[in-house]
Amino acid sequence: MAYLVVDRVSKSFGGLKALDEASFSLEAGELVGLIGPNGSGKTTLINILSGHLSCDSGKVELNGETITGLRPEVLARRGVLRMFQLTRSFPRMSAFDNLLVTGCALGLSQEAAEARALSLLQDLSLTRIMDLDAGQLSGGQMKLLEFGSCFMVPPRIALLDEPFAAVHPTLKEIMSDFIRRRHAEGQTFILVSHDMPVIVELCPRTVCMNAGRVIADEATRAVLTDKVVIEAYLGEAAA
Amino acid sequence: MSTGGHPTNRRLRIEFIVSLAILLVVAGLPAIVTNAYWQGVIVVSMYFAMLSIAWNILAGYAGQFSLAPAAFGMIGAYATGLLAYYYHTGYAIGIPAAIVVSGLIGLVLGRIVLRLRGPYLALTTLSFAEIMRLVISNSIEITRGDLGLNVPGIFQERLPYYYLMIGVLLIIQVGLFYLLRSRAGLYLRAIRDDEIAAASRGVRIVYWKTFAFTLSAAICGLGGALYGHFAHFVSPELGLLQQTGVVISMVVIGGLGTMVGPLIGALLVYVTSEFLRDVGNYQLVVFAFLVIIFARFFRAGLWGLVLLLLGVRAPRPLAAAPATE
Amino acid sequence: MLTLDLLINGLIIGVFYALMAIGLSLIFGILKIVNFAHGEFYMVGAYAYTLAALSLGISPWLGIPLALVIGLLLGLVVERLLMRPLYSGYTSWGVMRDEYAVIVTFALSIFLINIVDKVVGPFAYKGPPLVNISRVTVGPLAMSGHRLVAALIAIAVIVTVALIIRYSFWGRQIQAVSQNRLGASLAGIDTAKASAIVFALAGGLAAVSGALLANIFNPTPDVGVFPAIKSYTIVVLGGMGSVPGSIVASLVLGVLESFGGVYISYQYRDTFGLFILILFLLFRPQGLFGERAREV
Repeated sequence: MAYLVVDRVSKSFGGLKALDEASFSLEAGELVGLIGPNGSGKTTLINILSGHLSCDSGKVELNGETITGLRPEVLARRGVLRMFQLTRSFPRMSAFDNLLVTGCALGLSQEAAEARALSLLQDLSLTRIMDLDAGQLSGGQMKLLEFGSCFMVPPRIALLDEPFAAVHPTLKEIMSDFIRRRHAEGQTFILVSHDMPVIVELCPRTVCMNAGRVIADEATRAVLTDKVVIEAYLGEAAA
Repeated sequence: MSTGGHPTNRRLRIEFIVSLAILLVVAGLPAIVTNAYWQGVIVVSMYFAMLSIAWNILAGYAGQFSLAPAAFGMIGAYATGLLAYYYHTGYAIGIPAAIVVSGLIGLVLGRIVLRLRGPYLALTTLSFAEIMRLVISNSIEITRGDLGLNVPGIFQERLPYYYLMIGVLLIIQVGLFYLLRSRAGLYLRAIRDDEIAAASRGVRIVYWKTFAFTLSAAICGLGGALYGHFAHFVSPELGLLQQTGVVISMVVIGGLGTMVGPLIGALLVYVTSEFLRDVGNYQLVVFAFLVIIFARFFRAGLWGLVLLLLGVRAPRPLAAAPATE
Repeated sequence: MLTLDLLINGLIIGVFYALMAIGLSLIFGILKIVNFAHGEFYMVGAYAYTLAALSLGISPWLGIPLALVIGLLLGLVVERLLMRPLYSGYTSWGVMRDEYAVIVTFALSIFLINIVDKVVGPFAYKGPPLVNISRVTVGPLAMSGHRLVAALIAIAVIVTVALIIRYSFWGRQIQAVSQNRLGASLAGIDTAKASAIVFALAGGLAAVSGALLANIFNPTPDVGVFPAIKSYTIVVLGGMGSVPGSIVASLVLGVLESFGGVYISYQYRDTFGLFILILFLLFRPQGLFGERAREV
């Protein structure tokens, strides 16, 4: 059985159908790209996977357990960690404390959390700013910090929602290297991005959505040349 | 072993030590301030200090701006007052009862307002506070309404109350210090800074918010009961919205979100207001004005001002727009 | 007939509530804050009207526009001096704008109550009536002449304001800013000015309410506290930001209190509104007519 199963998930906001029986599944250790034009439902899907939104119908299973409808903090403790499209951090706490919160909340002891935080900060080249308040960091540093928070305790699945948006190339490098390394160690990812080169570089497989449905789900190169996908992005004429 | 990076720990330790020093100074004051009336003034200011510390835990550290602290003070006062009135109990039963009753009601309120933020939270706690006050003041058959209740004292003289209050404040500050250094401190501040992010990182929002409300209410109730036994009297006036306004003023003027702010805010504001009362009763005007000025221009309060003047690192601004790389 | 009496009485009270609630609702719509000093605009209006008549000998009929002007000015000054940080980006409160608003307006309320207490004195004055007819019979009902006239004036003001908001140039600017501040500013609307107008208008309306009711609720420094609490209930009930919602909710609350005071409990009649407020905040925060805000 697949590790993550998204089974015919639908979600409407008033009259707008954001997700329309979207379905796909992942095996453990996969690094899957999630692409699609704006408004295709990618972030809504991530919100449902992480528990911030409830779906109208459908089911999500992780490692055999149904996780539909659980609250975000419960899902986090079950190993579903995510980044937000608009970076979220704790602005009045230091970068170090930002990481500590996740570590302690997910069950690490004081010492373990501190050690983990220090090593993560080093991996992400953020040691220099670790005592600054998160609110004083640059946009890119905040994003890197949020990224790091997902890995204080190795998650069962990491949902990265546009981690590379508006980020300095150096920081992008740091994040991609990190993702590549962890993936090699068996970490499962869903990577939402508009940055096609990065998707091609990192993700062996990509899922494409449009208007709330999954329209393509295959090897990345194949998805990018898929007529249906091109049509979704550029309209019928271009396909 | 404590959590929190070095600057966090250091700052907290400094605030804790300073607050202990302040309590020490207050403890020594009766040597100079021998007038019983003024000693009484300081006792009452310590009641307000308890409410302020409690509100600061809820608003300054957990980010829940409740408008009910005075109401919980009143509830605690009436818990001990009603027990004394009907069952002729003394402080030994009254004070623990006050803590438990206030804490429980605080827990209920906390559960009620879980999903509310900002103005909605403020309005709900305000309504709750007013309902509590109206119920107590209108249930004349049970509570004697605005006539109030007489409450037995604890000591024969004034000075022992003075040191009792200092002792209780000491215990509260010590407890608070250990709380803030622990994981709980991290969780509360995370909830304050960004509740959605905190949830997505695994912090149990429901538990910790409820915890903050319960703890805050319990401390307010304790203060209220102690005040009742000191003043030998409780009335619904304790729960007036205006009293909450005074508490908020004290915390904002002293420095919201610090261990020292509520303490110095309460002591300075209340004692000074008594001075001003002699001069002409302008105290509330002055303090409300100060709150507006501080809130508008200098959020870090008096404690922040002290740090600034001592050349310690300037109060960290909350960046709305982060600096570019 | 008792029921009709209670109904009309309730509606009339509701009309007065509406004057205050509309302003509060508009403020919430445009700045997304609750103005905890709203009751003090009411109080200032009540005093302006009363003192103008008693100390300066001005006719009460002039006292109403006087109260309006003073309310407008006070609202404008408050907005310019204190509300800027809510929308002009960087402040020492940064992300905690809601908390800033609560603290500042709460403190402002205490400041105004106490400064009036010092300057004018704590003793209640009796607001002069607009007409000296103590008893007017309209069909089966009897009420004081002043109450009838005041209600008519209030209705006129409410209708005027509602029309202005709905159809005038600035009214539509205000609606736009309330719905989407960023979008409105991108479309060239001066959002700061819109905020100032709204606050001034709210102040003026509350002041007129205070003036009209000065004959019924004698002006004291804290006379505005009760009406303010009622307004909070109303704006939540009617949907924060919705003018028609506030009007309907005001009438509903007025009638509820009128009947509730007689049939349920006179002693606790002031708590009804508060219970309703809590219930709505918990289960239907968008009120009867408001929009549901999206999270995340």
